[in-house]
Amino acid sequence: MTTTFLRSAAATVAFVATLASTATAQSGKDYGKALTLKATTPISAILKDPKTYDGKRVQVEGLIVEVCEERGCWIRIASDKEFESIRFKVEDGIITFPMEAKGKLVVAEGVVSVKQLTREQAVAQAREAAKERGTLAKFDPARVKGPVTDVQLTGDGARIK
Amino acid sequence: MPVAKQRAAIPWRRWSIALHRDIGYLAVALTIAYAISGLAVNHLADWNPNYRITKTFATIAPISAQTSPEIVALAVERLQLTAAPAKSFRPDPQTLQLFYKAKVYHVDLPTGNVMIESNVPRRVLYEMNQLHLNQPKRVWTWVADAFALALIVLAVTGLFVLKGRLGITGRGAWLTALGTAVPLGFWLLYLR
Repeated sequence: MTTTFLRSAAATVAFVATLASTATAQSGKDYGKALTLKATTPISAILKDPKTYDGKRVQVEGLIVEVCEERGCWIRIASDKEFESIRFKVEDGIITFPMEAKGKLVVAEGVVSVKQLTREQAVAQAREAAKERGTLAKFDPARVKGPVTDVQLTGDGARIK
Repeated sequence: MPVAKQRAAIPWRRWSIALHRDIGYLAVALTIAYAISGLAVNHLADWNPNYRITKTFATIAPISAQTSPEIVALAVERLQLTAAPAKSFRPDPQTLQLFYKAKVYHVDLPTGNVMIESNVPRRVLYEMNQLHLNQPKRVWTWVADAFALALIVLAVTGLFVLKGRLGITGRGAWLTALGTAVPLGFWLLYLR
């Protein structure tokens, strides 16, 4: 009986090791649906003139500078210009971005969504973001300017390089 | 009762016990993994079941350099880091982020306040959660579907393992009714 148990345990370990080696051999990783667009749009172009892109499907590329800590349901992608970034939001459960994605390059596709936020709404959004970052204790509403134009991508597919 | 009719009858209880036993063996690892993961993700509001995220704070001399490469070099030097960051980013003119493997430094340039954030996956639990929430997708969807069907078969065959006063016609009926009343009652009271 002990021999049978040991043999079955060894077979399980071998199977798992094979799967693990296959998984680590992959370079880059796709999340959600496959990318469909051929060309990327600079994030700076979207942020410069959001109304032109509102409701349009775009592909963007950039550095992942933030990942939702709670559910991995959004990432923030750095723009091609300094001091700019855009949030890429996915439906909960469709994609879960890993925390290790921070500092990696991503190509992501989504629909541009533009909203006008009052200062109160902007403060509430910034407070929620601080909560998700775990920095709520240091949150200072006075640093939030408003009203603001909130631009984000609602997406369903990404490739992290 | 004629002998021929007795032979034709399906030995459903024997089948039920055999299915319950063998599917139970097949499903035991995944059942335990999913149950542990279930406990972990039920309390998302209280903790992060996937990562051990730590935020520590430090202070360096304020940085007033002008260009980003200069600012990065000064921050690396003042933080006494031995390697250059994989990437860096400035979300606004006052802040610098340095990206290292599993670690990010957020530097407030005018004050020199630094938040050091590290993310380490909770080994085993992270993998269990990935499987439970079907993150691998593709083939795992089929495995998870098969497992869900196996749980249904286990539940149904489990009803008929015992006969007599401890089986489904006796004590088992009361326990089954109690187990059904819990979700049903919750639905009626809170979810309707």
